[in-house]
Amino acid sequence: MELVTLNVNIKETSTGSLLEAVIEPMTPADFKVIKKSREKFDKFDWSQYRQKEVYKLRRRDNDIILGLMCLIDHTDDATDAIEIELLEVSSENIGQRKQLDLIGGCLIAFACRESFKRGHRGCVFLVPKTSLLNHYPARYGFEYIPLKTHNRPGGFMILYEPGARKLIKVYLDENQQ
Amino acid sequence: MKINSSPVRPIIKFRSSERKIVDMKSYKDIEKKHSPEEIAESLVFPGPKDPDKRAEMLSAFREIRKQQKENQSEESKLISQLLQLKFLIEDYLKADSFNKDFYFGYFLKEYITRLEKKNKQFANEIDVDPTELSQIINQHRKPTEKIIYRLEIHSNRNFPAIMWFKILEKERAYELLHDKSIVNKEKNHVKQQLHFSLLT
Repeated sequence: MELVTLNVNIKETSTGSLLEAVIEPMTPADFKVIKKSREKFDKFDWSQYRQKEVYKLRRRDNDIILGLMCLIDHTDDATDAIEIELLEVSSENIGQRKQLDLIGGCLIAFACRESFKRGHRGCVFLVPKTSLLNHYPARYGFEYIPLKTHNRPGGFMILYEPGARKLIKVYLDENQQ
Repeated sequence: MKINSSPVRPIIKFRSSERKIVDMKSYKDIEKKHSPEEIAESLVFPGPKDPDKRAEMLSAFREIRKQQKENQSEESKLISQLLQLKFLIEDYLKADSFNKDFYFGYFLKEYITRLEKKNKQFANEIDVDPTELSQIINQHRKPTEKIIYRLEIHSNRNFPAIMWFKILEKERAYELLHDKSIVNKEKNHVKQQLHFSLLT
């Protein structure tokens, strides 16, 4: 399947105006850029994900990377879902003083779109940190499925078709923004 | 909060000549700076790295997924299949490359098949002669504008006319590039033509 770019809109918090952005696959050169700009992406070591399916979000009019996401496509019939393994919005766009909004939402909605596109019926999941259990559902509509495993209490955040469609409508449908 | 070692590279040491140590932030550091709401909005941390723990996690996930699939409504399945088709078409139209298998009739047939309809039934629903529909699907004729408009209406505008026109346009561009006879066979109808080229 050919990987293509997806046009999205992000919001400039100071003016409330929408800015054109693009989600596209990371290139080897992009990983070098990320390595050099560790102050912007200081939460994870993205160089470990070079061989994986990693996407970036950037403004359409420049090459500055604003968000990163690593996906795992579980193609076996039993799992049949997209896993968001890792996601990071650039430091200056996290929290109350963020300059640009909607970056994380656009990336997660992109994962939902890929899930439909690849025949997983919109199923997307991630493994949450315990302290964030209430917040992924509140922010993005994930459903928390608690699990008791032998090693630790844990669980998943899952989106199915309705939740995935909703995120796509909110973050990717130009008519809704 | 216990620091999860998996997502965080605690210390990355550079060669001494570089005289610096970069400290990827621990979860504790992130929590000091941001509320849980802000973290959930902007970050997803990786799950267990240990192969056994990960296998156990995925096994549990498959059980949940199996149950969900069994309970998924027919309408939800249909919506998913149509969304898949819509996104595939959108991406195909955006791509620079042309795929000769992705012609108008192919996508139309996919639309009909996903609705679990026979060609004849669908032709009736959009008031088109079944033979005409069959010829379009099998690339023996091009669709008329009225069929494209009816496809938009039939799909409740989920597959807008402009999308179908763009598929046709991409198909025509490819045909023109690869089959000179399409233009040449009209040569006898042109009585006058410009005698110069603009860029030579």
